[in-house]
Amino acid sequence: MSPVTTGLIGIGLLLFLFLLKMPVAFAMALVGFAGFAYLADPGPALSLLAQDIFETFSSYPLSVIPMFILMGSFAFASGISHRLFSATYTWVGSLRGGLTVATVLACAGFAAICGSTAATAATMGQIALPEMRKYGYDNTLSTGTVAASGTLGILIPPSTILIVYGILTEESIGKLFVAGVIPGLLLSLFFVLTVAILCIRNPQLGPPGSPTTWAQKIKAFGGIIEATILFMLTIGGLFLGWFSPTQAGAIGAGGALVIGLIRRKLTWKIFLDTGKDGLSTACMVMFIITGATIFGHFLAVSTIPFILADWIAGLPIPPLAVMGVMIFIYFIGGFFMDSMALVVVTVPIFFPVVIRLGFDPIWFGVVIVLVAEMGVITPPVGVNVFVIKGIAQDIPLEVIFKGILPFLGALIILTILIMFFPQIATFLPSLIRY
Amino acid sequence: MTVLEKFKKFNQKISGWLAWVGLVGILIMMVLTCVDVIGAKIFQAPVFGALDIVIFAQLVAISFGGAAPYIIGRHVQVEFFVAILPRRAQAFVNAFVQLLGFIFFVLVVWRLVVYGYSFQTGGEVSATIRMPLYPFAYGTAFAIVPLCLLLLSDFFISMKRGFKK
Repeated sequence: MSPVTTGLIGIGLLLFLFLLKMPVAFAMALVGFAGFAYLADPGPALSLLAQDIFETFSSYPLSVIPMFILMGSFAFASGISHRLFSATYTWVGSLRGGLTVATVLACAGFAAICGSTAATAATMGQIALPEMRKYGYDNTLSTGTVAASGTLGILIPPSTILIVYGILTEESIGKLFVAGVIPGLLLSLFFVLTVAILCIRNPQLGPPGSPTTWAQKIKAFGGIIEATILFMLTIGGLFLGWFSPTQAGAIGAGGALVIGLIRRKLTWKIFLDTGKDGLSTACMVMFIITGATIFGHFLAVSTIPFILADWIAGLPIPPLAVMGVMIFIYFIGGFFMDSMALVVVTVPIFFPVVIRLGFDPIWFGVVIVLVAEMGVITPPVGVNVFVIKGIAQDIPLEVIFKGILPFLGALIILTILIMFFPQIATFLPSLIRY
Repeated sequence: MTVLEKFKKFNQKISGWLAWVGLVGILIMMVLTCVDVIGAKIFQAPVFGALDIVIFAQLVAISFGGAAPYIIGRHVQVEFFVAILPRRAQAFVNAFVQLLGFIFFVLVVWRLVVYGYSFQTGGEVSATIRMPLYPFAYGTAFAIVPLCLLLLSDFFISMKRGFKK
């Protein structure tokens, strides 16, 4: 059997094991190992297996992953999210639909210190949903807003998916982080506009909250100070070249821990539980990277990525049309696969095509994160929707999915804008000189 | 409680203990990196061998904490297809997947021991602090054993569910 045929069978087998609910990390490692053993030889495959696991687990560039995950966990436990919401609520809560706007802004703020969509949605869902219920907000609007705004977690830096993308493609994580800033802010703005339009069309969706005085508004600024300091220290430090990504993550984790201690939010039990929770997430991501590494060796010997790149480059269609097709594949894939898994499985195949067609790899990273965000809120595996369902158990899933639709529209518009105006993503990274 | 359930509980307990070791590893990574950065940037005195220690701490954290995401169901899985199958079919599919996982991780443990032995006989050490590598390869192999046992116990439990009328 030719390497290409073996590779195609391997990809089919991988998708089959995914369907059978095998953990993505295990399936990639197993198929990658078996495929490499078939194409090369069982001896080298067995040797490579141990080497891949040992070297991935002990890779210094990958240590950025546990550090930023730990930062998000400690930020969650130290109550920063509560104070962020309280601040945004004080400023805009009294407007019509103001609580949903406050939720979007607080999500954007929390996304600046946490790289996970589910964590952002869960955190803000627990805080914002009870408030919105108290003021009689429509369930479709409230749940849709929290689930959608949670997606900001993987676009605004730090972002776990951008880290994984950077590792898979050997692109600068610092540049990728910075590339997510303007699109993240734009998406927050689009979400706020979405809420505003919905509430202007139907004022019953989001009644105004309690009015606040200017003194309260000014005092509320204190609630965003901690998140701002953490963001400036970590992402600012990365942007200015003070820290390596791992160092930025460690400083961020240490900073979030110190904030929790000063605020007296971290008891021993919370500290240990939070640490273990962060460790579990870090292990999960590291296992996926290990699986992707083993699968990547198989893909490389199958030569599929290179043949695909050559074939697509030779097609008589414009590169942007090819990109459109790839984005459509990501969009459809997002319906069925977790965003992280989708990126890990497809990037090694599509990345050579992207480079061959002359697209900016940093820009491509931002685009696929945007499309992956859509997968996080669309059925049947919209993780954020299930997170919100877990918090608001009496609200049917279809109500939450219905609430997502206007925000999905905002995501699609931003993706199209970034496709035609790549500078939105590439301008800030172009200022970095390392 | 059946023997299988007791066996699973025992494995979960072992994995829980190992996760504490993993937690120590990830905290060492954080603290040491912070101390190294502050030492280097403010006092011009970085920690000697910080990079080596961070690498080893990460190896310990990920391998010893590796069973935890499996126990709490945090691994990324595609769930929509199996969820629509009948209960018995689900059990057999799960058993098949768990058996494959068990075989794979037994292979991993075996190869890590072989890999560790090659480090031991070759006298391989880390770049800066000259720490021998073989104990870490053996340690990683040891830390993956509970994951194998968890997959095995889950396989038997799934099979039992599948055959139960």
